[in-house]
Amino acid sequence: MTVLSVRGMSVNFGGVQALSNVDIEVGEGQLVGLIGPNGAGKTTFIDAISGFVRCRGRVELSGRDLSRLPAHARARRGLARTWQSIELFDDLTVWENLAVAVEHTSVLEQLREMFRGRVVTPVACQKALETLGLSDHAQRLATELSHAERKLVGVARALAAQPRLICLDEPAAGLDTTQRADLGRRLRAMADGGTATLLVDHDMGLVLSVCDHVVVLDFGKVIAAGPPEAVRQNPAVVTAYLGGAAAEVVPTGAGS
Amino acid sequence: MQLVILFILLGLGTGALIAGIGLGVVLTYRGSGIINLATGAVAMVAGYMFWALQTGFFGGYGLTTVPAVLVSLVVAMGVGVVMEVAAFRPLRAASPLAKLAASLGFLLTLQAAMVLIFGDAAKQVKPILPADTVTIVGATVPVDRFILAGIVIVITAVLFAVYRWSRFGLATRAASESEGAAVYAGLSPNELSMVNTLLACLVSGLLGILASSLVQLDSATLPLQIVPALAAALFARFTSFVITCTAGLLIGVAESLLDYASTQTWFPTDHGNPMPGIKELLVFLIIVVAMFWRGASLPGRGELTEKRLPFVPQPEKLARTASIAAVVCAVALIVLPFDFRRALTLSLVGAVITMSFVVITGYVGQLSVVQLALSGVAGFVLSHLLTDAGIPFPVSPIIAVAIATVLGLLTAVSALRVRGVSLAVVTLAASLAIEQFVFVNGTWGGGNGGSPVASPYVFGVDLGTDAPFRGLDGAVPSPIFGFVALVIAVALGLYVANLRRTGLGRRMIAVRANERAAAAAGVNVRNVKLIAFGISSFIAGVAGVLYGYELGSVSAVRFGAQMALGLIAFAYVGGITMVYGAVFAGLISTEALFPYALEKWFGLSGNWALLVGGMALIVTLLLNPQGVAGASYEKPLLFSKTGHPSLLAKLISGASGKGAGTGTSGQSVPAQATSAGAPAPEVPLAPAEPGGVR
Repeated sequence: MTVLSVRGMSVNFGGVQALSNVDIEVGEGQLVGLIGPNGAGKTTFIDAISGFVRCRGRVELSGRDLSRLPAHARARRGLARTWQSIELFDDLTVWENLAVAVEHTSVLEQLREMFRGRVVTPVACQKALETLGLSDHAQRLATELSHAERKLVGVARALAAQPRLICLDEPAAGLDTTQRADLGRRLRAMADGGTATLLVDHDMGLVLSVCDHVVVLDFGKVIAAGPPEAVRQNPAVVTAYLGGAAAEVVPTGAGS
Repeated sequence: MQLVILFILLGLGTGALIAGIGLGVVLTYRGSGIINLATGAVAMVAGYMFWALQTGFFGGYGLTTVPAVLVSLVVAMGVGVVMEVAAFRPLRAASPLAKLAASLGFLLTLQAAMVLIFGDAAKQVKPILPADTVTIVGATVPVDRFILAGIVIVITAVLFAVYRWSRFGLATRAASESEGAAVYAGLSPNELSMVNTLLACLVSGLLGILASSLVQLDSATLPLQIVPALAAALFARFTSFVITCTAGLLIGVAESLLDYASTQTWFPTDHGNPMPGIKELLVFLIIVVAMFWRGASLPGRGELTEKRLPFVPQPEKLARTASIAAVVCAVALIVLPFDFRRALTLSLVGAVITMSFVVITGYVGQLSVVQLALSGVAGFVLSHLLTDAGIPFPVSPIIAVAIATVLGLLTAVSALRVRGVSLAVVTLAASLAIEQFVFVNGTWGGGNGGSPVASPYVFGVDLGTDAPFRGLDGAVPSPIFGFVALVIAVALGLYVANLRRTGLGRRMIAVRANERAAAAAGVNVRNVKLIAFGISSFIAGVAGVLYGYELGSVSAVRFGAQMALGLIAFAYVGGITMVYGAVFAGLISTEALFPYALEKWFGLSGNWALLVGGMALIVTLLLNPQGVAGASYEKPLLFSKTGHPSLLAKLISGASGKGAGTGTSGQSVPAQATSAGAPAPEVPLAPAEPGGVR
């Protein structure tokens, strides 16, 4: 079943066309990789579907049109995202970071909350922390953690809200090889658990090894899409990454 | 028509002063990224020094004009050196709000120092500029106005040329684009910042000396010219000297035209006098227009900042602490003599008003100066409901608080797109306008004398300060009202402290930490801010009503902008993120226990408390951003005691942090900027919040 369906998305920054006419679909339990050279528009795509950048085109989540909703409303309808630069709430503990994402309350509920402490059923938070191996850190402050752990908290915060779709912006950047492999396994487990996942990363090895489907962007256009094996050998992709002249030295073994 | 021309030309005098202070503001901002609220205070210091040197205040023999001017300018620059070395430099990497608060500390310190040295009375300064007049289109105009305007225009031209063509100007521009790159290019941001601050002090000091004979030389007039000067600087987006100068001169002319208009029969009057506060209202409107027209965000500076605000700890053992404090206070109210009883009650009310700052500034990170003016609105509404409309106790304070809350919400709606430092500027202008236009107004406010507030009665029982139960010494005020204030203070304190533990409190802190990430986590940033403004305004309204009942009347000064700035300083010193901090701030607020004891036992006036408060604010920001209350929490190592590593060290850790950094060091500005994925034309809004939510 299709969870995310993006049709004809275009984004302009002044005169620069950052995305032009991009179509992407992500199905339930599917892990879709979005790759491309620097400046290809990967982060812009996530910003656009999550409501942080004005765009043209249609964004549907499980059949519902999100195009006109503000960012927080999209999040509440099940579109979660992480940030390349992590962006945790530094003044809160890990558990509180997750709780903010879980407690989606109406205005009425918020007014009521003004007058009583609310203990959230921490089930969703706990599950997310377990999935990412962070249970021991729940009561620590976000600032106390290592870079890798902070990355994972970012993912956990997105996951805790039990989204239909989770968009990960370079979750592996700054992690070492072991941590990357570990992250890859956890992402795969998340997707297998039913969460549709869109993974943006520079690590071709990671993307090609864990994703079901890969989309390649270059200069804001989709230049290739398909299963990882097909994309790896696609000449257009090789050219985009390495330039025409270097096409022969493409590391065919990457990711295996 | 001749009169109109006369007033236009007369306005050039004030205009030159505003422009000069505006130039100082822009210079400091370009040099160090600080919006220096004390720029007008530097002009005041120079003015006072000049007066003192000329009249022989020190040692009895006066200097002639030229040496007096030179020495005064040296003193003004000395103040600049102190500001730079003691605060601006060590706070370079602090949040914009911390920098603004530091300059507020200097403003208060300088004001208090001038009053303590030279006394309360306004000084008559002998004019330096020739007193000749010229006749233009039939209007006889003093020539000094032209000379003043000419001087400020020449200064502007020189600054423009220096910044455009000299190596120093290029270096300053480069450093404000990217401090990191400037360091690699061999420039020292510290030196650049110092030179710019000195220039700023020189310019504003010179204008202070020259214009102090035109305006009143006291501790309020010149320092508060910072507000119109900020308006001029806003039009220039804190960058262009030419626009700042033009806007400053025009604002002066506009104010002068209002003076002319107030002599006309059609001008609105208040008890036979021209309506007060129109000028302040005009400046406020100009600032609002500037914000909308020129953009609510200040131009970004490429500085390496740590955007941390003071930590918000989870309150522990609330019930126990609250009950102990309540019992101690209750006993003290009965046992203490009447004067200390009054001071204790005022401390409680001071704690309540500071709690409104804890919610809005501590929890949500929005520095709003206007909260005290909302207290004032509640106080004056209460007074008028009781006196003019005859509406009795339970109903009138409820209406008063409700009106303050609604007004606060309206402010919030209009302020939603304005945040951080910009919000502080707008709300400062707003509170000045409300003070002068509403509170000083004899019809709506209390005029100069204040407006009476009758004691509250419930079913015939007097709850006010004149209740029959008089404590141990049998004097007024009665402890009964102290109990009322105590119950309210404890209830609100528990509420605010508990708020930190609720989901709403978490969302507030999430919004404070990172608006974009909060929105991505499904938090409706706008609603959270509105609710916070509502809660904060409600608390402020309650405090205003309590002030009214305790003092028996409400007056403009009690709720004025100057008082609000002092309270914010005290709140920072106490710990802006904690109710304990609010209690501490309450104890040192005006006429509260601490200043009262100082005055009674040591004969030190409230100005000493303000002086100490101002300096304590700077020390707090430097050494212990958590405030006094925060210092007792166990985890201070995390947020403040890391010291201030050198710029280069930060750069290196920032650069490597992107690849393999360990936690906090990786969070430098470049990482934030690229994450937006969009070519950001300017660093979004106040850099305290990485990115705004549309």
